[in-house]
Amino acid sequence: MSTAGIIFSNLNNNTLSLLTADRTVAAIPFACRYRLIDFALSNMIHANISEISVVTNYNYRSLVDHIGSGKDWDLARRRGGISLISPFQSATPTQRPEVYKTHLEALQAMKENIARMSADEIVMSDCEYICNIDLRTMIERHRISGADMTILTIPCRPDWTSDGARLLLSRDKEGYVTGGGVCREAVESFPYISIDIFILGREFLLRMLSDAEAAGYTSLSRDIICRHFARYNFRMEVYDGYVASVSNFNDYFSESIRLTGNTALRTALLGNDTRPILTNVHNSAPVAYREGCCVRSAMIADDCVIEGTVENSILFRGVKVGRGSVVKNCILFGNTYVGENSTLNCVVADKSVCIGDGRVLSGHITMPMYIPKNRKV
Amino acid sequence: MYFKKECIAMLLAGGQGSRLYDLTKHTAKPAVSFGGKYRIIDFPLSNCINSGIDTVGVLTQYQPLALNEYIGNGAPWDLDRSRGGLSVLPPYQGNKHSDWYKGTANAIYQNLNFIRQYHPDYVLILSGDHIYKMDYSAMLAAHKKNNARCTVATITVPMQEASRFGICNTNPDGSIYEFEEKPKKPKNNQASMGIYIFNTETLVEYLEKDEADPTSQNDFGKNIIPSLLASGERLFSYPFSGYWKDVGTISSLWEANMDLLGEESILRQGDRDFRIYSRNTARPPQFVGDSAIIRNSMISEGTSVDGIVVNSILSGGVLVESGAEIHESVIMSDVHIGEGAKIYYAIIDSDVVIEPGAVVGSPDADRDHITVIAQGTHVACKKEEVRK
Repeated sequence: MSTAGIIFSNLNNNTLSLLTADRTVAAIPFACRYRLIDFALSNMIHANISEISVVTNYNYRSLVDHIGSGKDWDLARRRGGISLISPFQSATPTQRPEVYKTHLEALQAMKENIARMSADEIVMSDCEYICNIDLRTMIERHRISGADMTILTIPCRPDWTSDGARLLLSRDKEGYVTGGGVCREAVESFPYISIDIFILGREFLLRMLSDAEAAGYTSLSRDIICRHFARYNFRMEVYDGYVASVSNFNDYFSESIRLTGNTALRTALLGNDTRPILTNVHNSAPVAYREGCCVRSAMIADDCVIEGTVENSILFRGVKVGRGSVVKNCILFGNTYVGENSTLNCVVADKSVCIGDGRVLSGHITMPMYIPKNRKV
Repeated sequence: MYFKKECIAMLLAGGQGSRLYDLTKHTAKPAVSFGGKYRIIDFPLSNCINSGIDTVGVLTQYQPLALNEYIGNGAPWDLDRSRGGLSVLPPYQGNKHSDWYKGTANAIYQNLNFIRQYHPDYVLILSGDHIYKMDYSAMLAAHKKNNARCTVATITVPMQEASRFGICNTNPDGSIYEFEEKPKKPKNNQASMGIYIFNTETLVEYLEKDEADPTSQNDFGKNIIPSLLASGERLFSYPFSGYWKDVGTISSLWEANMDLLGEESILRQGDRDFRIYSRNTARPPQFVGDSAIIRNSMISEGTSVDGIVVNSILSGGVLVESGAEIHESVIMSDVHIGEGAKIYYAIIDSDVVIEPGAVVGSPDADRDHITVIAQGTHVACKKEEVRK
């Protein structure tokens, strides 16, 4: 029995617009040296999945850069490996090309790829729920259950449902889905949130796609899961580990800063010896802590040079913090440069931002300040 | 099938490195950790690929287990090629007789068939015990320009240390007229770096000649180079001016690590174009805790610091608990340093546990009195004296 993976890189409603102006959700940097897709990819790899398709629609340049040949995830294979599925336009278009917008449309578009796969089962995953999960056990339990599809969920967290629509579900004693809805806020009758990881048989997926095409459905969650849970055999797994949701900018900021202050969460997500999160390798030098630096509660990636003060912050690769500068509650993406005697508080600086000497920038914990890519301050 | 490479490299990585004592008890010197995330062999291997040399034979002999595992198929250095790439060359059993590598020259001699596979015009001979960044393609260009048979890379060393090295005495045009191995009274301070480029036919000719001489020690510095000079071959010096450090002793290994801390660190020079590659272990990012104080130090991935770290190098997966102090030391991977432990002027090998309150080394020590703790040691809470 083998399993293939499908990762959707940015098919959800886009509420992360600042960070996705020129990248897909999957390519958003997270936790010091990773990108969101690394979590979905690593979860699959640690479950022995070595045939993975990554579905993209827009803005996938940085994702392509990041994945490369797949070598850093051991996915540069002759059999299986990683493949990028992007929208396809023929040389002699007979009709206007349509870029798929939902999971179901994307799956319809890659039906041929799915039909050619040799795997018996498929795990589908999004990139917006970040977790380090033992998928192997989940797949095993799915097999034993004989269900058509297993949906991974967590108990509802009311603070999450305020922004964007999520798939909420209810279940019976055996764990089978008994109802659901795509909602913007918590609903008492549906106490579980789907974390958008689905395990299903490949044959079943193809059958479901045919049924959906015949019925003209466009959404997997709204049209199939919520309406036809009784027709199919859908069960759910309730996961009790740590899941970070970054579906909007404030969540992204607070989940990131939370990691710097909570060793248990950090270990659960990143520090698992049997399931390390894999990412692409830069071969940069270790961090240099220079004379006069002061660093507290910070996650710092390779190639950083620190001469100033850094607290409760996340520094991605190649960040430089100059003498006398103070960086607090900040997320500084790769190659951010902070000059001398500047003060930054609650700032998210996108890649290669340059902040000069003596600047004072501040957001608030509830309203972080964002500086776009390559900007000079 | 006929493969042709203009220049291939032969990397001598079989030495024991006995002056590194406990650090090389179970591993060959080139596999010793350096600068947090590197091994010594990363430097010559990265230099090769950064110089456009994609065929490297690595000659191993002493304790090759860790080294073999580390270099694998050469993928971290982009040396996993279907034509050329990296090959590990241990001593082997021959048709008529089999032998260990008797010396550096004999090691290459036994692998002449490996060299012949690639029909190279030039062979670059390297050793695996120096820390430096060097563009070998510039040296090769000089070799061709001089129409030399052999070129020896040299570096200026302090006059008082010159008698520790092989010294090249040169004419104004750079040609070598005399080569003195560890002279008592050196005539100048141009030391051989142990890096040679040979025309392949010259190399083959002199290796065969050397092999036929039963009194020879089969060594490049002691036998091959003097023999070339005696025959009046065109031998040139290639003066190199960057950072270069032999890490053959505990003091020099410690010192080379400390050299990485300055603003002039070799790791940050021209880094984008001339990166040192190493095998990556996919560790989580490093974390600096609430009570940490870090001064002038270099720390690698997967390490968590809650104590005090001053003028030190920490590898991956190290845990420094609160109240622990590390001064002027090199800590290799996965070392656990307990609460309140104190470490001064030490090199601590991987997987060591320092119990809470233990003291290693002394704050009054110096570069000549470095404490070495062997791999896997458990240091209890009393003063440990393992001076080397």
